[in-house]
Amino acid sequence: MASQYAAELCMLLVEDNFGELFGRIFSTLHRYERLTLQRLVGFTRLSETRVRAALVAMIQHHLVYHYTPLDEAVTYYSANMQAAYHLARSGKILEHVEDRLGEYAATVMSTIMYLGHAQVSHLDTLPELRSKASKANGVHEEEGNLEGGENGANRTNGEHAPQHSALLHPTLKALAGHGYIVRVREAHFQSYADNVLDIERVIRAGDSVQNMKGKKLEEYVTEKTVDMLRERLDGDLTRGLVINGVPRGVKRRHANGVSEDLENKRARFDYDDAGGEDEENEWFDDEIPMESSLTVRVNYEKLDVALRNRRFLELAERDAPPETAQVYDYLLRRIEYQTTKCRDSAEIPREGEEGEQYSVSIPLNALSQDIDPYLDLAGSLGPTDTSPANARLGKRPFDHTINGDHDHDHDHDHDHDHDHDNTNTNTNNRAYEIDQHLSLLAHAPFNLSSKRLNGGIITWTVEFRHLARKLRHLELERIIESRYGDVALRVIRVLQAKGKLDEKRLQEISLLPFKDLRQVLASMQTGGFVDLQEVPRDAQRQPSRTIFLWYYDPDRIRDSILQDTYKGMSRCLQRLRFERGRLKEFLEKTERSDVKGNEERYLSEGELERLREWRAKESLLIGEVARLDDMVAVMRDY
Amino acid sequence: MASAGPSGGSVTELASRLYDACLSKFPIDHLFYQQDLLGLEILPKSDLALLLQCTQSLVDQKLFRLLQGKNDRLAWKIIPREDAEKLQNLSPDESLVYNVIHSTGRSGIWVRAIVNRTNLHKSILDRCLKSLEGKNYIKSVHNVKFPSRKMYMLAGLAPSEDVTGGAWFTDGVLDENFINVVSGFIEFTVSRKSWHEVPASNRSRNKRLKTMDGSVNVKKESAQKEYLPYPAGYKGYPTVPMLTTAVNQSGITPVRLGEESVTQLLEMLCYDNKLVSLNNGELYKSVKNPEDVKARQARKPDEDPSATDDRLVRNGMTEVPCGQCPVFNLCVPGGAVSPENCEYFETWIHEKSPLTF
Repeated sequence: MASQYAAELCMLLVEDNFGELFGRIFSTLHRYERLTLQRLVGFTRLSETRVRAALVAMIQHHLVYHYTPLDEAVTYYSANMQAAYHLARSGKILEHVEDRLGEYAATVMSTIMYLGHAQVSHLDTLPELRSKASKANGVHEEEGNLEGGENGANRTNGEHAPQHSALLHPTLKALAGHGYIVRVREAHFQSYADNVLDIERVIRAGDSVQNMKGKKLEEYVTEKTVDMLRERLDGDLTRGLVINGVPRGVKRRHANGVSEDLENKRARFDYDDAGGEDEENEWFDDEIPMESSLTVRVNYEKLDVALRNRRFLELAERDAPPETAQVYDYLLRRIEYQTTKCRDSAEIPREGEEGEQYSVSIPLNALSQDIDPYLDLAGSLGPTDTSPANARLGKRPFDHTINGDHDHDHDHDHDHDHDHDNTNTNTNNRAYEIDQHLSLLAHAPFNLSSKRLNGGIITWTVEFRHLARKLRHLELERIIESRYGDVALRVIRVLQAKGKLDEKRLQEISLLPFKDLRQVLASMQTGGFVDLQEVPRDAQRQPSRTIFLWYYDPDRIRDSILQDTYKGMSRCLQRLRFERGRLKEFLEKTERSDVKGNEERYLSEGELERLREWRAKESLLIGEVARLDDMVAVMRDY
Repeated sequence: MASAGPSGGSVTELASRLYDACLSKFPIDHLFYQQDLLGLEILPKSDLALLLQCTQSLVDQKLFRLLQGKNDRLAWKIIPREDAEKLQNLSPDESLVYNVIHSTGRSGIWVRAIVNRTNLHKSILDRCLKSLEGKNYIKSVHNVKFPSRKMYMLAGLAPSEDVTGGAWFTDGVLDENFINVVSGFIEFTVSRKSWHEVPASNRSRNKRLKTMDGSVNVKKESAQKEYLPYPAGYKGYPTVPMLTTAVNQSGITPVRLGEESVTQLLEMLCYDNKLVSLNNGELYKSVKNPEDVKARQARKPDEDPSATDDRLVRNGMTEVPCGQCPVFNLCVPGGAVSPENCEYFETWIHEKSPLTF
C-alpha cells in the first residue's frame, strides 16, 4: 500500500475531498511516517493552531492515527493510507447500500461517511436525515447536498422528530444488521502496529506470564495478542439483529413477501425503496431505538465482502441464464450476512500457496425459502436426458437429491408453459430445481459454487480464494488481451496451466506458428508479462547448450499492474484537476450560492452547454477512477 | 562365402527353400530366431553349421536382413524379393547407408548421425545419398523439432508424428488456416450439442423433441433462437471420438485426423476459453451458444469495432488512456510527459464525453 503511486493517489484523494490543508498534512505524515505535533508543524510550515484543528478533523475521519505511549507524554501521529484510499470507493458503497436497503439508507450511510464517524444522538439531530424521511420515496438528490451537515447539528426541530426516528433507527438497525456499520472503538484510532505492541506490553506485564519463558512465552503472547486485538477492534453491531444468519428485517420481509400477491414479484428481495415504507414501519414498531450514545462508522471490510459478491454475481451473469444468476444471488446474499471480511491474512497469499477458504455453507432448504416463488426455475434449464428413450432406462445421473423419482416427463411439460401450480405445491420439487441451478454453477466453466453434504443435509458454499483468484486472473487477462491480442491470451493460459515451458512444447500445445508465437512472447516479455528462464546444460552456459523456459508469474504481474492502476487513478484525478483549472472562472460562477441550483435562471444557453460538457467530462473521469478502483479491489482487497 | 565346396549348390537351394518357407509361413516383418528357422524343418538334422551357411547366403543375396535380437542373439528378417533386387544393385557404400536409413524407420535420420554410424567420408556419403535419392529409394524429410537438420528416410515411408509435428503441420510448418477452419467447425459442433435449443412457440412439439436428442440439427437461420444450458450431470456432450468422426465426415480435412490430433485441438480451444472439458477431457462443452459462435465466426473478417463484444469484458485499465500509453513510465506531474499535457487524455475525453450523455 505504501508505494509511491499509492501515496500519490491517497494524497490526491484527501486533497480532492478535504482540501489542500488536509492534503499537505497527510502527505507530510506519509513522507515522514510518525511525527509529533511539533515536528509536524515544522515540516508542514503551517501554524500550530491550523495543524491542531486539521488533525482533530482528520482523526474524526480516521485519516490519521494517533498514539500516546503511556511512559511518554507525547502523541505521535501517522497517516492512515487505507482510510484515505477508501474515499475512492465511497460512491460504489453508497450505490450498493441504496440497491440493498433503499435510498434513505444510502443517505444515512453517506451522512456517516461524510462525518467520518457519528454518534447516533448526533444523527438524530441532523436536518437532512429528517427532511429525507418525509420524502423517502421522493426525488433523487445528489450526494453533494450533504454539505449542510455540520451546521445542522445545532438545530432542533421537534415537529418531525417522531416520523424521523421512526425511519432513522430502523435504517441504522438495518445497516448494523447487515454489518455495514460498526461501533467505533478506542483501538480504531491507533494503527495496527501500535495496537499490537500495546497489547503485547499489557500481556507481558500481566500476572499469567510471569512464570513462562522462552518459546512458550512467545507462543502465549502471539496467541493472546490475536485474541485481545480482535476484542479491542471488535465493533460488531449485528448481535441480536441477526436471526439464523439473516438480518432481522430481511426475514420479516420475506415472510410478508411469500404470503403477498404479485406486487412482490416485481419488487427486489429486501427492502425496496418503493412501497417499502409502511412495511418497514410495521416491522420495526415494536423495537427499541438504537442506543443514542453509540458511535458508528462505516465498515469497509464488510462492504468489500458485499462488493466482492457482486463481482462473483457478475461472473455468473455473463454466461449463465438469468434465473441461475438470480439463484446464485440469493446464495451469495445469505453468505454475505455471515462473512465479516474478505480473507484472514493481511496480504494476498502467493499463487499456489493459498489454501482454500470456504464460505459458510447455506442449507438448500433455507435458500428455497428465500427464493422468489415466481422465479421460473424449471423452464430455464434444458432436459437432463440425452434422448427421451434413453432416460427411461437408467437412473438419471444427478438424482441423488431429495427428489429421486422426479419424473422427467414433468420436466418436459413444464419447460415451456409457465405453469407454476406444481412448483408452489411441491417444495421438494422446488429445492431440487434450485439444486440443479446451483449444480450448473458448480461445474465448468463456472465453478462458482460447491456442494457439501453436511450430516445428510445438502448445503452450498462458495470457494472464496478460488474465486478471488479467478477474478484476479480475469483482470490480468483482460489487460493482456487488450495489449497483445487473443493469441497472447492463449499463450498465457497455457503457461499458467502447464508452468514453465520451452518454445517447442509451447508451440505444440498452443498450436501457433513459430513466427507469431515468438513475436507475441517477445512483446509480452518487453511488457513484463512473461519471462524467460535459462537452464544451462553444462557449466559453460553456451546459448546452444541451454534450455530456455518461458513462464508467467501472476503474482509479480499483479503487483506491477496494481501500481500501474494506482498511477492511472492518480492521472485521472490530476487530469480532472487540470481540466477544472482550465474552466476555473466559469465553474466558480456556477458554484456561486445564488447560481447553484438555479442554473437555468442565471446562465446563458452557451454557459449551460458548457456546464453540461463539464459535467460529462467530470463524470467520465470520476467514473474511470471508480472502474480502476474495481481493479484495485480485485488485486489487493479480495 | 563360407559355403565353398561340394555342398555349395545344395546350400543355395536349401536357402531359397528356407526363404520361401519363411515367406509363406510368417508375416513379412516377423523376427526370425534360430529356433524359428530350424522349426521349419527344412534343414536336415537341425544342422547349425548348415543353417549358418544358408542364412549367410540369403543375407548376401539381400533376401535376409541380419539383426541383433534380444540378449544379443542373432535374428533375421526377410526382405521381399523386389526390394532385394533393388538392394543387390547398390554399391557396398550405398547399401550400408541404405541399411542405416532403413533402421531408423519412420522417424528418419540426421545426416550427421549417418556419418557417425557408417564412418564414411562426407563426400562419399553425399554421393551415396544423392544416388539413392535419384533412384527414389530414400527421401529427405523436414523435421519440425529440428528445422535446420537435413534428415532422410526411406521413400516408401510416411514420416511419423514426431517428425511432422502431427496433423497440424504441412511441410513442417504449422498450417494456421487449416487449424482455424477445423477449430471453428469443432467449436460450432460442440456448441450445438451443449445447448438446448428452445423451439419458438410456433414450432411444433415434434420438432422440439427431435432437436432435443441432438440428432437433428436445425438448419434454419432464424435469428431469434433461444438456448438453455443443460443441467449439471448431463451426459449428452460430445466426446473426442464423436468429434473425430464428425470432423472426418465433414470433408473439411484432406487427411484423416486421428483422435490425438483432435484432442490437441480441443485442448487448444479450452485454452482459448471457447470450450471446457468435463470429466477430465471425456466430454467437451462449449461456453457460447451456437448463435453466438456463428455470429463471432462470421464477424471475424470485417474486423468492425463492435467485435470487441465477445472478448473479455473491458476493465478500467484497458479503458483509461494510461493503460495503453507507451510513455506511461515517464509520466510525472509537471514533467515532460504529464497528465496536464497528455494528448491521449485530450482525445479520449473528446471521444467519450459526448457518449456519456
